[in-house]
Amino acid sequence: MKVSLFEQVPYRYMPEGFENQHNSVVTAPYQVVEPARMTESLFSAYAELMAGARAGFDGICVTEHSQSSYDISPNPTLLASAVACAARAEQLDVAITVLGRSLGKTREPLKIAEEYALLDCVSGGRLIAGFPVGLSYDANLNASLPAVETRERYREHRELILKAWSEPRPFPWNGRFEKYGQVNIWPRPVQQPHPPIWIPGTGSPGTLRDILQQDYVFVYLSWDGPKLTGRQVFDRYWELADELGRDRNPYRLAFLQVVAVSETDERAEREYARHLEAHYRSGLGAIPHTAMAVPGYAEPAAIEGMLRSTGPAGMLSRMKTATYAEIVDSQVAIVGSPATVADQIEAFVREFRIGNLLVMLQNGSMPRDLTEKNISLFAGEVLPRLRPVWDAEGWENHWWPRAAAIEGAV
Amino acid sequence: MAGAVRDETVEVWDSRLRLHVKIAGDGPPLLFCHPLSGLAWSPLLDRLAERHTVYAPEHPGTSPGDPQAIREVQTYWELLLSYEELVSKLGLERPVGLGQSFGGMVAADLAASFPPLFSSLVLLSPLGLWLDDAPIPLMEMVSGLPSDVPKYLYAHPDSEAARAAQAMPADPAQQAKAIAQATWNVGCTTKFAWPIADHGLGRRLHRVQVPTLIVWGREDALVPVGYAKEFGRRIAGSRVEVLDDCGHVVQADQPERSWTAISRFLAS
Repeated sequence: MKVSLFEQVPYRYMPEGFENQHNSVVTAPYQVVEPARMTESLFSAYAELMAGARAGFDGICVTEHSQSSYDISPNPTLLASAVACAARAEQLDVAITVLGRSLGKTREPLKIAEEYALLDCVSGGRLIAGFPVGLSYDANLNASLPAVETRERYREHRELILKAWSEPRPFPWNGRFEKYGQVNIWPRPVQQPHPPIWIPGTGSPGTLRDILQQDYVFVYLSWDGPKLTGRQVFDRYWELADELGRDRNPYRLAFLQVVAVSETDERAEREYARHLEAHYRSGLGAIPHTAMAVPGYAEPAAIEGMLRSTGPAGMLSRMKTATYAEIVDSQVAIVGSPATVADQIEAFVREFRIGNLLVMLQNGSMPRDLTEKNISLFAGEVLPRLRPVWDAEGWENHWWPRAAAIEGAV
Repeated sequence: MAGAVRDETVEVWDSRLRLHVKIAGDGPPLLFCHPLSGLAWSPLLDRLAERHTVYAPEHPGTSPGDPQAIREVQTYWELLLSYEELVSKLGLERPVGLGQSFGGMVAADLAASFPPLFSSLVLLSPLGLWLDDAPIPLMEMVSGLPSDVPKYLYAHPDSEAARAAQAMPADPAQQAKAIAQATWNVGCTTKFAWPIADHGLGRRLHRVQVPTLIVWGREDALVPVGYAKEFGRRIAGSRVEVLDDCGHVVQADQPERSWTAISRFLAS
């Protein structure tokens, strides 16, 4: 299997109890920031991604959020581009996953087409293109786009980007949201007709169906706790795959897991517990639930379904008061010695047929030295156990960058 | 009371849109344009129906069972054209146009865009303008907690009318349905009011040529009372009534005084 290092870019010095007074997004007060500490927080994220690339991860992964204190990444292609160039200079063969620019939020979809294409070129064909819709607070509050149009914009933008990447000649685009007289972007992705496309989502049936029909990769995240919601989401995905005549190739599925490794279980708890708790409370926990679904973002049937759901409730709605025990019990985070962590990950990876794993090893206030220890222990002692998990079944990962096949790639 | 409310469905917009209209009463026609939350039949509409035939269309997408209708109206301009077609298809001869909040913006813009459409115009604390020194917290209200909404709408959130407007069914299944519908309604209306309900109406209001009444609550916490003057200034010959001890939903906070203002104007 393929294992990538995922990194958010939090401000690492959020004041204690922030979540009791403020939101972490949209209206998060910038006055809590000390400029030197912001500089350090941002630079650490770059440095840790490079540490991951050097430690032997198959890829690095970043994502996009605006007006947010827990992921200060208004344009992830900036971050990805710096890592891509540095990694190439050091001849490190790492995939660059941007998970990604939000297509339902952007007002300039061709910029995304251009930036992704550039990234694919400078990385020598190592880009994985994330095509997320965008969270409601980001698309409908930060970007202030009408919620009811979010998915319509998403679909048009995706179609436009794919065409801009592969259409040989300039073409006009008379869309509903975008109009261009001559679309003719430079450069184009070196992976033609397009780089692998991964789509993060919460697992709604409509999104899963779309992903499987288009032959993309579904990315699920551990925020809700895979012990609580994993079964229902992953089972639904593979059942839909059967229904649509897709094989159960595990590389169709990517999963993001928060992990914290130390020499022993006890030491891991001692080192990481407070950072994890603070991170979830002041970050995801301080996003008001109303901002995750501005009216119009979810269809009425989906809202009714959520309100009447008898399935297990995920952790996301309880993050504001999350305790360390809840975080590990639900597997929002997997914490422990290399053996403990590897056992737990291997078990659910096999059970749910996950072929592409993303691990998040930095959380909130975790300092750079502790994060780099986490990266080094994971890469050295956990990753080697995970890499061969699917070898015996012999699947091919069609959704991994084709750098090796591209002439001139390092 | 004016008797039964009946439903009619009218095909407009090249038959792509089936607008659901609630109709009651007898007398000269009156078109009621509802606020952000959707159409709720109210004591005000009963009173209007004693003297008028009230036609109250449901904004596209807000009619139960027809949520995707909102997709057929792509722009605000298409919304106005659809309503203009509706008035014509219903065969209404110069109805009174009466709109509240979001519906006030729509009614005012119909009057400005199609000057001969209405015989007179009543605007109850309409959206539609923007003043930098009086920001309208529409986004804050819509994306905030539902329990905070009454603070924006009422000077008296505990009044019977305010409580009735916020009431939800007790049965959990019915409640889920009602919450989903109410949420979607706001999604459908805010499509044309997001993030700022300013489509340039201020530059068109000079075209309104019919007698116009503008009613506002002095304590309006959604669209501050300063906008009353602004509408009044831009519509020549209009009359502005500002009610004390009154919030955004004037007929809920001040049912009698708002009715006096409206009924006197309509009778004149």
